[in-house]
Amino acid sequence: MSTHAVAMANPAAQSRASAAIGGAAAGIGYFFAGLLILIGLWWLVVYIATKNPAMAHFASFGPVPAFKAIPHLWENGLIPKALQTSGSRLGMGLLIAIAIGVPIGIMMGRNKRFRELSNSPFQLMRMISPMSWEPIAVIVFAGWNSAIVFLIAIAAVWPIMFSTAAGLSKVDPAWFKVARNLGATPWQMVTEIIIPAIAFDVVTGIRLAVGVAWIVLIPAEFLGVTSGFGYTIEDARESLEYENLMAMILVIGAVGYVLDSICLGLLKRYSWHK
Amino acid sequence: MGTRFAMAASRGAMNFVLGLAILAVLWAAGGYLIAADPKTASFAGFGLLPTMKAFPELWQAGKLQSATYASGYRLGSGMAIAILVGVPIGIIMGRVEWFRKLSHSPFQLLRMISPLSWMPIAVFVFSAWDDSIIFLIAFASVWPVIYQTAAGLSKVDPAWFKVARNLGATPRQMLTQIILPAISFDIFTGIRLALGVAWVVLVPAELLGVTSGLGYAIKDARETLSYDHLTAMVLTIGVIGYALDTLCAMLIKKFSWHRGDA
Repeated sequence: MSTHAVAMANPAAQSRASAAIGGAAAGIGYFFAGLLILIGLWWLVVYIATKNPAMAHFASFGPVPAFKAIPHLWENGLIPKALQTSGSRLGMGLLIAIAIGVPIGIMMGRNKRFRELSNSPFQLMRMISPMSWEPIAVIVFAGWNSAIVFLIAIAAVWPIMFSTAAGLSKVDPAWFKVARNLGATPWQMVTEIIIPAIAFDVVTGIRLAVGVAWIVLIPAEFLGVTSGFGYTIEDARESLEYENLMAMILVIGAVGYVLDSICLGLLKRYSWHK
Repeated sequence: MGTRFAMAASRGAMNFVLGLAILAVLWAAGGYLIAADPKTASFAGFGLLPTMKAFPELWQAGKLQSATYASGYRLGSGMAIAILVGVPIGIIMGRVEWFRKLSHSPFQLLRMISPLSWMPIAVFVFSAWDDSIIFLIAFASVWPVIYQTAAGLSKVDPAWFKVARNLGATPRQMLTQIILPAISFDIFTGIRLALGVAWVVLVPAELLGVTSGLGYAIKDARETLSYDHLTAMVLTIGVIGYALDTLCAMLIKKFSWHRGDA
């Protein structure tokens, strides 16, 4: 009723602005309401499960102990350290995947012969579940750290490669003709035509790659290393600290959410064919 | 027309074989270099020839079949649960605006919890390792099914629903005559994405606890230092994954009716 009155009393621009603010407020409202419902359900499940006295020692799986554990884990340095080590592995792996995947994707998009020939071996290698490389990676690389980075890179390289190639195939061929006619060097062709045209698709690929890398990171850290999110979960389970376990799972979800949202933000920024 | 189609198909088949042949040659060359260097000679099993020789051995020992069967059962059960749960939720998300908005933040949070981090909890909740692996696969693969189904539904022309309602369609007919045919393409796209994720999760899930499946077979081969068996199992994983992915791609093509607007 009141928004209706505002819209009646003010010019269109102002009502649009208030509608936008109203929309954002509703968005934030839904955001928190959704999370609150999730936490409520979580509490309920643990409450019902631990009503049975035999299960009472699992009460620390609930949301209250988990949220209490987070500041504690932050102060004793476990969360910052996990963020730093897992983050650097993820970052390194993604960087390698981008450095390899984008050029190969461009080649696939530009060179028909290469695209046709590479399809079957690349599809085969893409469908080798990344963690099955683990025993080989451990033998090839001296350190566990580089083995994990390799596993992330090999998991993340395929979406980036195929997305880049798909993006390039959508580029109007006339652009390349025009650029050539205007005397563009191959280098200018890459920096002035190809990269701006496919930035959106590369970021789409990176977003998918982050999703897969995030799945691979945790099991890769279960073995060998003594740092990172995967190790912290294993450690919490072995020492029966369930509240720490739930807290770390929550942190993993939150960090993943933030990473995915960053990718989405970049996607919106580079989207020109809208 | 017919001959051109046949030529294109034979060209495709040739590229398929030639591409794999190049990969095999590179692999064989790498294997030769490993075997030739005395420092790495103990890893000669990684080469192409030892790997190919390992296949009949693994087949005769029944390891290949039992691992494929065990993993296939887990993958199939997990995916079936993901589809049964994901498609209805996706349809609700596509049809009910407040549910879509309200579910966004909790679903995104849950989706971005790396599936293997549920492992310790799954082991507590389910008494059998098999069931916890199925849970992990279902949990990982339900999100692409949900989101693709919802996205497919949001592309459906609202006029269709109006027409169906005006013609007196029951909710059940609405579902079977309008919604499912319209979004089958998107559901299969979601299943293909889900399969990719499930395939990534399956192997690490089988590295712990169980003594069957493709993941276990890899771990077992490494622990017994039989590197030829190791690479043979890795290759098997790739081939099965490739076959499943191709199957999904074919289903997507079959159910694609909005081909024109791409």
